[in-house]
Amino acid sequence: MTIAETRGLTKIYGAGETRVVALDHVDLAIEPGEFVAVMGPSGCGKSTLLNLMGGLDTPTEGSVVLDGRDIAAMSDDELTSVRRKRIGFVFQFFNLIPVLTAAENASLPLVLDGVPPKEALGRAEEMLAKVGLTHRSGSRPDQLSGGQQQRVAVARALITDPALVLADEPTGNLDSRSSEEIAGLLRQVSGEWGRAILMVTHDPRIAAHADRIVFMRDGRIVDDTRIANSDSARDAMERAGLL
Amino acid sequence: MSIQLRLAARYLAGRKLRTTLTTLAIVLGVMVIFGLNGILPGMIQSIQQVMLASVGQVDLSITSASSGTFEPSVAQAVARVEGVRAVSPALRRTIALPRDSGLDASALVVVGIDPVTAPHVRPYPLAAGRMLRPSDESGMRTAAMMSRELADKLGLRLGERFKLPSASGTTVLELVGMLDTPALPGSEEVIVSLPMAQRMFDVGDRISEIDAGFVSGADREAVQRAVRRAIGPDYIVGAVQTESPLSAGFEAASFIMNTIGVFALAMGGFIILNTFRTIVSERRHDIGMLRAVGASRRTILGMFLLESLMQGLLGTGLGLLAGYGLAIVANNALGRMVEQIINLPPTDVRFTPSTWVTAIILGVGVTVLAALVPARAAARITPLEALRPAIGDVYEAAATKRGWAGLALVAVAVAGLLSGNTGLAGLSVVLLLAGLALGSSVAVRPLSDFFSRAIELVYRSEGGVARANLQRNPGRAAATASAVMISIALIVALVGTITSTIEGFGVYAEKSTGTDYLILPQNLLLGGGTVGAGPELRARVQDTPGIGDVATLRFANTVLNGTAVQVVGIDPKEYGRIAGFEYSKGSSEADLTRLERDGTVLANGVFTAQYGSGRGDTLRLPTPSGEKRFRVVGVGNDYINAKIPTLYVSQAALERWWGVTTDVLILADARPGSDKAAALRELTKTVAEFPSFALYDTASWRKVQADLYAQMESIYYVLALILAIPSLLALLNTLTIGVLARTREIGMLRAVGGTRKQIKRIVLSESLLLAALGLSAGLIAGVWLGYVMILAVEGLGLAMPYRFPGVGIALAVAVGLSFAALAALIPARQAAKLDVIRALRYE
Repeated sequence: MTIAETRGLTKIYGAGETRVVALDHVDLAIEPGEFVAVMGPSGCGKSTLLNLMGGLDTPTEGSVVLDGRDIAAMSDDELTSVRRKRIGFVFQFFNLIPVLTAAENASLPLVLDGVPPKEALGRAEEMLAKVGLTHRSGSRPDQLSGGQQQRVAVARALITDPALVLADEPTGNLDSRSSEEIAGLLRQVSGEWGRAILMVTHDPRIAAHADRIVFMRDGRIVDDTRIANSDSARDAMERAGLL
Repeated sequence: MSIQLRLAARYLAGRKLRTTLTTLAIVLGVMVIFGLNGILPGMIQSIQQVMLASVGQVDLSITSASSGTFEPSVAQAVARVEGVRAVSPALRRTIALPRDSGLDASALVVVGIDPVTAPHVRPYPLAAGRMLRPSDESGMRTAAMMSRELADKLGLRLGERFKLPSASGTTVLELVGMLDTPALPGSEEVIVSLPMAQRMFDVGDRISEIDAGFVSGADREAVQRAVRRAIGPDYIVGAVQTESPLSAGFEAASFIMNTIGVFALAMGGFIILNTFRTIVSERRHDIGMLRAVGASRRTILGMFLLESLMQGLLGTGLGLLAGYGLAIVANNALGRMVEQIINLPPTDVRFTPSTWVTAIILGVGVTVLAALVPARAAARITPLEALRPAIGDVYEAAATKRGWAGLALVAVAVAGLLSGNTGLAGLSVVLLLAGLALGSSVAVRPLSDFFSRAIELVYRSEGGVARANLQRNPGRAAATASAVMISIALIVALVGTITSTIEGFGVYAEKSTGTDYLILPQNLLLGGGTVGAGPELRARVQDTPGIGDVATLRFANTVLNGTAVQVVGIDPKEYGRIAGFEYSKGSSEADLTRLERDGTVLANGVFTAQYGSGRGDTLRLPTPSGEKRFRVVGVGNDYINAKIPTLYVSQAALERWWGVTTDVLILADARPGSDKAAALRELTKTVAEFPSFALYDTASWRKVQADLYAQMESIYYVLALILAIPSLLALLNTLTIGVLARTREIGMLRAVGGTRKQIKRIVLSESLLLAALGLSAGLIAGVWLGYVMILAVEGLGLAMPYRFPGVGIALAVAVGLSFAALAALIPARQAAKLDVIRALRYE
């Protein structure tokens, strides 16, 4: 059973001379609890794929099916609701609200969903404890390190118990030690807590934490490899022009 | 607490300087509206109180509908009405005390009562001494009573004598009784016998009031109706007439204050608009992320509107407090002046529910309304924004559509101005300001190109950077320039109007009070109440060696459409010889001679504007001798009475219908070739015997008027300066925002070798350019507004010459440029002090 699936997903920007095919008939299926890394050179369409799967953008053609429903056909309000309840986002620049504490930031999706603030905060504290930030729940983002901020972002992504977590270069703004920690945390999210993760990354060491690596080039999937076979992953990286 | 509320509160607290500046803009507007309106109700209530005090504890009080004196026989008619137990005639007059009277009051009310009948209709509780006696009426005794409180205030003890001005000069009274009644400020009474009062005011045997007491258990309403039937419509029974000619003046003042407050708030609106535009641009990432994690557009819109609501409530709350303070300060400052001019006791500030509602709705409303456009823009931000890297201010496309809309509004405004209709001309100002504000974003580029040439002559490279900074965010520059524009327009218009008005009044003064000598009461209480002088003063002035022509003015009151109108009696022949009116269109000197015929009046401009009656119309006026029809034979203004609705009649008519024979104003010319100095010396001696009067020669009169104008002018200049403050705030706010938004760029400039001084100059140049943009639109709008204000004053019945506001323009340019320099001080220092490395890393 798949949790999320794209069928013939196509995204074209501009028209005439400025026409760019960012995504070209992409078919991809993600299983529950699966940790999928998307790799490829700049401009290959990996972020576009993520945005379309997260309902942040609408496709030119094709469909995105989440929990059996095509989100490409949804209205803005419906999409907003799906994002709030079924999808978790982790961004490269953390995107925490600077005036809110770690717990308040983590509780945002619940609060926006109408959960009473007290209850939302309680659940945020629990989630922060799970990601290893028990003692920093009252700190504001400017009082946290980059790695800690990204942990808060992961907690925020998980708090609504989403079907799919989308992470766009989650370690792109972190040092190598913090990067490893975040990658390990995401591994735990998928392996132990059973959440499906689609992560875009440039870093092969981070991608190595995933179950499966999807390689993209010029808007198409050129390879889709299970990480269990490291040789085939290396070959796939070469084919995708990454090595 | 909802997430929106929490975010709004935290964001507001997070940017203290910006929150303070934005809040101040609201505070100022609310302060003006709330504060100034807090002074008026107190004064209006005070007028009413003073009038109500004359009724006191009596069952029924009857006065003339024309607020004048009447025959005492009316009292008998009242006494015959069933249910009336007792009646007592009285004469009540407010007298202005000369400054050197030795008494600590500017005015007193002298009440003449009949000692026999008065105690039957009104209590006179004695605290010390004795009640007035019928034997006091012999004229030999000059007994008086007053409340103990008043006696203490005046420093008088039983048996002591004191002087009061009267028609024959002065009257000496002896304090024989002190009453245990409260002395109401502004209506502190000195009680004398009726014949004494009648002599003091030279009214023969006429009275101004009848007090009546009812049979116990009588149906008060029924008795009142019966009294009304018995004496006819020329009298006011029971109700006290509280509408004074001054009420219209207070209403006009309230309107002007509200208009000024709305202008101040409009400027605040532009500042808020700018702040919220910046906030939205700064929080692009936060908004994008919130949208990504499931916040709907409505949630984002609500978040910003809630923030503006909190800002509005905070600003309005502080504005109400500041307004209360302003009201107290202004009330103290103005109170003294008002007490002198219209004999009102010092009043407390008072805020009516409508003042509260107006101030709160405008303060909060303008803030939320100004934030609406940026809030809607915020709601349109897509979640993808959260994923894009931050970029600095980029060139914002100028809104061409808005530019065209602005141009269209200006075109409609021109048509409105040219229509010749005062109402449309007034509307044209609003349209012009709106048009200029709308179109200003399009004008930012060409105008800043033009003005930066001048700046680049001094600061070549810095001027160029400043111009580019301005041009890449034309919306922000335009909103700031619009706030400056309103300030500048108000300064130019206010100064222009006051210059024209003073010149206009100068013409009236020259025409109607340009005689060699002028004798008038020290405190002239327009609208009635001033003690006039009997025939003796005029005769003695006339007999003074060296004096040629003499003319006098006499005062009474009548009522039209429920409001009081002043009636001035002149002798058309002698007045025409020595003075004259500034006639309105269609009237001339010939109309003055028509006044000699009975049943004719000449109206002043304010009267025709207020009542819509002009030359040829017939008025039915209540007089103490019954209703009388008068035909308006002309329209003209004299200086003294130009500000309140006035009808001029011949002195013969005034005597016949109003029973007034005392002179309030005496104009005299020196005989050609006579010794003016000697005449002045003689006149000084004569007038000294009439202490409530003051003598002026041409030079001293002009000086008094010049001082008065200077006082008025300074009030207007202070007002103009207060109105300029929002433009300072707007500049300061925009420059602070600009420095914050461009922190990284400033770091880069410093990194590649820009000096602190150069950074400061960039900010200063930007400020000067913004001020220049505001000035160019503001000067046009100001000249326009000034012209419309003169049209409006003309509409009130006061024709004024239009003078191009050169002084106003010079002042506005000086204020605009110096505010630009002042506003740049703090942001320029902040920008220059930025740490390069931290600035380069600034998010």
